[in-house]
Amino acid sequence: MEDSVANRGPAPTKEEAAPKPFTPEDEVALREALKRCSPATVEAAVTYRRVRDTAQLPTIVIGVIERYVESELRPKLREGDDELRLVEDLGVDSLTMMEIVMLVEETIQVQTNNDELRGLRTVGDVKTFIDCKVKGLPIPKPAKFIPLEQIASVMPVQPPFLFVSEAQVGAHSAQGKYKLTGQEFFLQGHFKNNPILPASIMLEALGQLAVLFLIEGSLGEEGKAVDTSKIFFTSCEGVRCHRMCRPGDVLTLFVKPKRVKSPFATFEGSIRVGQEKAAVVEEMTLAFAYAEAVAQPAAVADKPGSVAPVLTPSSETAAPPLAAAVRA
Amino acid sequence: MPKVYVTGLGFITSIGNDRVEVTRSLREMRHGMVVYPPFQRPDLPVKVAAPVRGFSVESTDPEDWTFPAGYRIKREVLRGLGPNSLYAYCAMIQAIADAKLSEQEISNQQTGLYAASAGSPGLLYRLLTQMHAQGVMRCPPLGIVAAIAGTVQFNLVAHFKIKGASTGFSSACASSSHAMGFAYDEIALGRQSRMFVVGAEDGNYETIAPFAGMRALSLSTDPETASRPFDIARDGFVGTGGGVVLVLESEDEVARRGVAPYCEVAGWGQASDGHNVAISHPEGDGLRRAMELALTYSKLEAAEVDYVNAHATSTPIGDVSEVKALRAVFGARAAQTAVSSTKALTGHGLSLAGAMESAFCALAIKDGFMPGSAHITRVDPECEGIHILRTTSDAQPHVVLNNSSGFGGANVCVVLRRA
Repeated sequence: MEDSVANRGPAPTKEEAAPKPFTPEDEVALREALKRCSPATVEAAVTYRRVRDTAQLPTIVIGVIERYVESELRPKLREGDDELRLVEDLGVDSLTMMEIVMLVEETIQVQTNNDELRGLRTVGDVKTFIDCKVKGLPIPKPAKFIPLEQIASVMPVQPPFLFVSEAQVGAHSAQGKYKLTGQEFFLQGHFKNNPILPASIMLEALGQLAVLFLIEGSLGEEGKAVDTSKIFFTSCEGVRCHRMCRPGDVLTLFVKPKRVKSPFATFEGSIRVGQEKAAVVEEMTLAFAYAEAVAQPAAVADKPGSVAPVLTPSSETAAPPLAAAVRA
Repeated sequence: MPKVYVTGLGFITSIGNDRVEVTRSLREMRHGMVVYPPFQRPDLPVKVAAPVRGFSVESTDPEDWTFPAGYRIKREVLRGLGPNSLYAYCAMIQAIADAKLSEQEISNQQTGLYAASAGSPGLLYRLLTQMHAQGVMRCPPLGIVAAIAGTVQFNLVAHFKIKGASTGFSSACASSSHAMGFAYDEIALGRQSRMFVVGAEDGNYETIAPFAGMRALSLSTDPETASRPFDIARDGFVGTGGGVVLVLESEDEVARRGVAPYCEVAGWGQASDGHNVAISHPEGDGLRRAMELALTYSKLEAAEVDYVNAHATSTPIGDVSEVKALRAVFGARAAQTAVSSTKALTGHGLSLAGAMESAFCALAIKDGFMPGSAHITRVDPECEGIHILRTTSDAQPHVVLNNSSGFGGANVCVVLRRA
């Protein structure tokens, strides 16, 4: 399983209660239940049941999801993207989700409750959920939806420079939306008679979503709140822009923490418009501090003490010539 | 009131899986009976049934099912279907193509769907068995949708994106005639401009065999003669299943679309026996009144009726009570009005029967024939004075009645007229 933030919670408290022996009859039943899954899935399931090898779980979970997804959409699953959305990307409705979970339950012998399933939104969520179930870890809370008013009330950055208008913050990622209205002040000059979202603003929007993740997400350090006045941009690497964004486009922002350890939090991020990739950021690092810990971030903030933009103009130097890249 | 026309038909039946094959079977009096493998067990004295051909739906897992080439059904659709809904789904595809309807013409507020099926008892049995054995949380999520009595309209309305009126009818063997009658009303009253009428039944061990317990099934082991309505030696009905869909449209829609209808639905009537839960009234009282009401509503005289597709299922009591009702309605004219029961060919489709036989009548009016009542060696003397058509006639009927009777003594008569 991936190194996820919430999994740093309490260590597994106990081994599974001694599993029932896996009889030849069980194997026959298991193979029958999985008869429409790939051979690799069946073998992973048999191995898991024999020796409880949790390394098999991702293969089993993906294999079961694949079995219920229309064949045209299966190649997407094989790309191994944990951010694939079950509903939007894979056409899985809530009833199919139930079928998936029931078959996984039957395969790996766990039980789930209805309310545990509601928060599962992506392939990664399902993997994490099953992993936690099997290891006896607490199930991460489902992503919470945060409307614009709440975003504006908690964020250090404010309109007209706020580029996240709704967000869902989960334990392992955050997703946000921003609709480019065409009224944004910078579009008047970027470019003359040709309004295109500056790439610097794309990075700003992702940075803002990462800030929201730090403020609203659970970082696993009990009882510590992030000081909203002490989050600053530090660095950004591997920025590629793929698509120009124009007025009317709805940007779907996505960030996922790679490392979070005070005083730094590093994210990967991406922006889509519909199903089209608009921009990708391999690494974006923010400096932050917990509210009680008054220590100054060691990071080089461009304008220490400044509350607003997490992404300051000079940071553009960390990225390729953005406007040019966008136009490419 | 706007006139109502039949503009499209779809068939999955024991005598054919499309209009052409069904027409040929009716004209040539080819039956659909076989010695039915699931009945070959010592505890069941009934051996013959009329199963649908070209489908394999025995598995508990719909993904194992097979159906004729040309129907592509997604897994997410299939998982909520019982055999009855699968047949109806295929018949629906045929009826839509036959009526030349576009997607917009199917999915709008002016188009509805009325269906009839008794549910899928075999699926329900397996579902509840699984629930008892493995616990309630181990049942397939859509088991209920696939198994209970409304399954046909649940599935068809959702998958064909029907937005108008929809419901199901549950009057046993009169169900799909009730669906037809009320669908007619929706259009005649101006509430809808188009209605799909659907009848469907699994037609398997679980839907047919329970009728052996009430001694309603033929014990004949000969598929050639097991179903023989009006014959002196008839000894019960032969069960069948399948799915049939009729498209009904208002005269405005028929004119706007420029389609040639099969026939007009002139009206319908219904009346109940108030007599016995399962045995028809000895004088056919309810059925007689249903026919009279249907004719009165349609502003037709009994003498104008050319052909009656009888409910006659080949049971000793039922056929005779229908004959008495016919005699009461037609009087001296009974000797001229052709009567036949196509159940001699198809078997009795229960909830499917009314829609299936109305569709047969539509074919008969359009193609110009009256199907014969097959397998009669010697007409029951009780039928004296009734003109039972023993072979197919090439005369085109102008006015046709289709009778249906169900448990509880429910009787429906639908009147069809040449367009």
